[in-house]
Amino acid sequence: MTDFFVNLGKHPGSRKLIKLLKLPIVFPQELSRSTTAWEVRPLENMNIIVGNVRKTQLTSIIAKTLASAGADVHVQGDTSTLMVYNEEGTGYGRIPKQLQSNTLLDEFKPHAFVFDASGMQTASELQVVYDFFQKKIKYLGTCGRMIIIAQHPSTIKDIEAASAARALEGFVRSAGKEIGRNGSTSLIIYVDPEAHDRLEPVLRFFLSYRSAYVSGQPVHLSANVKIHELPYFTRPLDQKIALVTGAARGIGACIARTLAREGAHVICMDRPSENEPCARLADEIHGTLLLCDITSPDAFNSILDFIQKKWNGKLDIVIHNAGITRDKMLVNMTSEIWSQVLEVNLISIIRVNQALIPHIQKDGRIVCLSSIAGIAGNTGQTNYSASKAGVMGYVQALAPTLYDNSITINAVAPGFIETQMTSTIPLATREVARRLSSLAQGGLPEDVAEVVTFLSSPGASGITGEVLRICGGNFIGA
Amino acid sequence: MNTTKSRAVIIGGIRTPFLRAFTDFMRIDTIALGVAAIKGLLERYPIPWKEIQGVIWGGVILPSDYANIAREIVLDMGLPPEIESLTVSRVCTSSLSAITLAASAIERGDVDVMIAGGSDSTSNAEVKLPQSFVHKAAPVVMNSKSTVKDYFRLLASLDFKKDIIPSRPSVRERTTGELMGESAEKMAARNGITRKEQDLFALQSHKRAAKAIETGRFACEMISVDTPDGKRIHTDNIVRGDTSLEKLAKLKPAFAENGTLTAGNSSSLTDGAAAVLIMNEEKAKSLGFTPLASLRSWSYGAVDPKDQLLIGPAISMPDAARKAGMTLKDIDLIDIHEAFAAQVLCVLKMIGNDKFAQNRLGMEKAFGNINPESINVHGGSISLGHPFGATGARMVTTMANELKLTGKSTALLGICGAGGVSAAAILEAV
Repeated sequence: MTDFFVNLGKHPGSRKLIKLLKLPIVFPQELSRSTTAWEVRPLENMNIIVGNVRKTQLTSIIAKTLASAGADVHVQGDTSTLMVYNEEGTGYGRIPKQLQSNTLLDEFKPHAFVFDASGMQTASELQVVYDFFQKKIKYLGTCGRMIIIAQHPSTIKDIEAASAARALEGFVRSAGKEIGRNGSTSLIIYVDPEAHDRLEPVLRFFLSYRSAYVSGQPVHLSANVKIHELPYFTRPLDQKIALVTGAARGIGACIARTLAREGAHVICMDRPSENEPCARLADEIHGTLLLCDITSPDAFNSILDFIQKKWNGKLDIVIHNAGITRDKMLVNMTSEIWSQVLEVNLISIIRVNQALIPHIQKDGRIVCLSSIAGIAGNTGQTNYSASKAGVMGYVQALAPTLYDNSITINAVAPGFIETQMTSTIPLATREVARRLSSLAQGGLPEDVAEVVTFLSSPGASGITGEVLRICGGNFIGA
Repeated sequence: MNTTKSRAVIIGGIRTPFLRAFTDFMRIDTIALGVAAIKGLLERYPIPWKEIQGVIWGGVILPSDYANIAREIVLDMGLPPEIESLTVSRVCTSSLSAITLAASAIERGDVDVMIAGGSDSTSNAEVKLPQSFVHKAAPVVMNSKSTVKDYFRLLASLDFKKDIIPSRPSVRERTTGELMGESAEKMAARNGITRKEQDLFALQSHKRAAKAIETGRFACEMISVDTPDGKRIHTDNIVRGDTSLEKLAKLKPAFAENGTLTAGNSSSLTDGAAAVLIMNEEKAKSLGFTPLASLRSWSYGAVDPKDQLLIGPAISMPDAARKAGMTLKDIDLIDIHEAFAAQVLCVLKMIGNDKFAQNRLGMEKAFGNINPESINVHGGSISLGHPFGATGARMVTTMANELKLTGKSTALLGICGAGGVSAAAILEAV
């Protein structure tokens, strides 16, 4: 399932030829990805430019995050900001450099821009954001990152400051579309005042190559969910028991592998008919095989019996990945395929979760697979879109009830991902679908798996009730 | 097994002169250097040979045919063949490892009298045929049924460039592919250590070592060595007492264009050996020896080679102090192995940094600011040389003597090494 145009663009010869012939062909940038286990310093020796409106409480947290992740920091800011970066940087033997002018040298291609806008007080200070990015953005390296950190509008009392904070979201969405062609992504991280200490692992993840296919959207960090364990930066899932439904193939198998890579013991669950691939996967990742049809009314009993017997009823992570499509225009859709899709994609999740939640441990994590179709809608997918939008509603509604259990629940909404399922789409439709994102290419199952694994880690405690799009900045959908 | 349990004490130590590689010690291998050091040790501290229970020896460049050089030293020296012997290889911390292993064995009550030390002869690093030659040739040569035809086929299959030209001994970090100097160069840049600071430190090292040699301070811890060409070597040959800041400033960067590390502020490849006699305190008393010092605590650690390869002592030294229940105020002497002036200065910078202490040691406050002028009172590896396997034993010997001579009570030692490993130990006057 290789992308012809990504490959074509890798060869300078073909690039030149097509330019010469003036063919209207776009070359998507091949994305940089990390497929190895989490490292201590994911940003080792990467140049990152930081700026802010003014020094805030977040300054030292951002400074520490970047230095400990191995980045070489270039600071644009006042003396007090620089002092904070200096203090944190020296502890890691990484003294930051001060950025002298607003323009950069031509050969200098920073990996990322990080702008702390949490100190913004008026709408006119949006000018500072413009000034920071406008001259520099063209120097952003391939597969770079542009991240703005701000306080969430809903937690800001001042009306003008709240409006300005929201304005940044629009800025990030548009900028993401502009920088996507060179493989770069943009993001805004909204941090609640009580959740400052939860920023580090999140910032690490989104600055790294693991977030390759996430772009143009907000992520909200709150302190709603209590924390019992500190985030680890390597092997974050050691000693965790994870259940992955629909694990036999495609994205599910990839998620199972990635969770196992980070130390989790994975229970690979799929229908009995998927016995062979699922067993092979469980064997490969030293996990356990559980054959069970999630739509059967007593599915949760089989799961509970299983974890009771094997793990004394302990479960830490649940990934609801099982899903099906049965596409038909609404006028032709039978009641059978309508209910089939809703049953697998939504109703069984709700039913199984109800039974499992009492058994999920503290610092537990639930991630449900939604879809961009649930946001944007697709012709012939009324059933699918309804089920996937229903999943979003479900995580948003359920999240607050789990605050005290210190369990987070989130959904991820993949866009066009190169899998067996999407390879059956007719060529023309497939080509269009691939190009309909800022990054102008499809994502890989690994891209989804990395995000799901991150959301399953202790460091993602600030994120709950959220829907994270993994769509390369799809043109449709918010 | 002897059941009298008491602490291990250092009776004394001896080293050979340290010579630049490929000079007068060129034809003396690491085993012979070890023999010379132990012979000197036993002359200076005469002990009935039958009392010696083991030799633990450190070495880095080991002869591949006789990797347990400790055993070969015992046999070559004519020591009783019953003396057990163990070789340890933990890069530049090897002989400190040998000493702490010996101390552990004594304090556990296993043994009473041990010799520990180490040697290295960089002049005798082996040059090897490529392994691909072995893999191609061995199946033919080892097979008794091989015919002349097979040998011709083998000859035809050999690639001169890939299979025949011997490879130089690699001094690069295996995981990062960097020369150690390149790693140190990076550390200097990251921590903002200037060329001037490094040269100043190197100058201090040379001046102090030269003075120690002139005043005879090292006489109590050194022996002369006879070379195969009939020369008698009395003294170290790397130290430059007449060097100056101007001379050091003229040297070209050795590891990077516009770099700050030069041959003048780095340690050089060296041949040499050092040995230390360690005993159970009771045993020392009964044999009539006056000990110099005991080992109060030690700490071994490691850091990621990709990060700051040689920063380890900034972690191990405070950790050794923590284990001893001491703070910087309780330490009278500090001796840090000088792989590079840059590395020592980086370690000192980190050791005085609160953030570093919080991040890496889980301590609220930094161990403390240490003035570069206050450490290495008689110079170090830059001026004296650095036979990898012998440096730890040299430092222990010099510091143990220094405690005795000055009447001070504690000395803290720190050593960094390849692969990101590090070691530290605290000596206490007895």
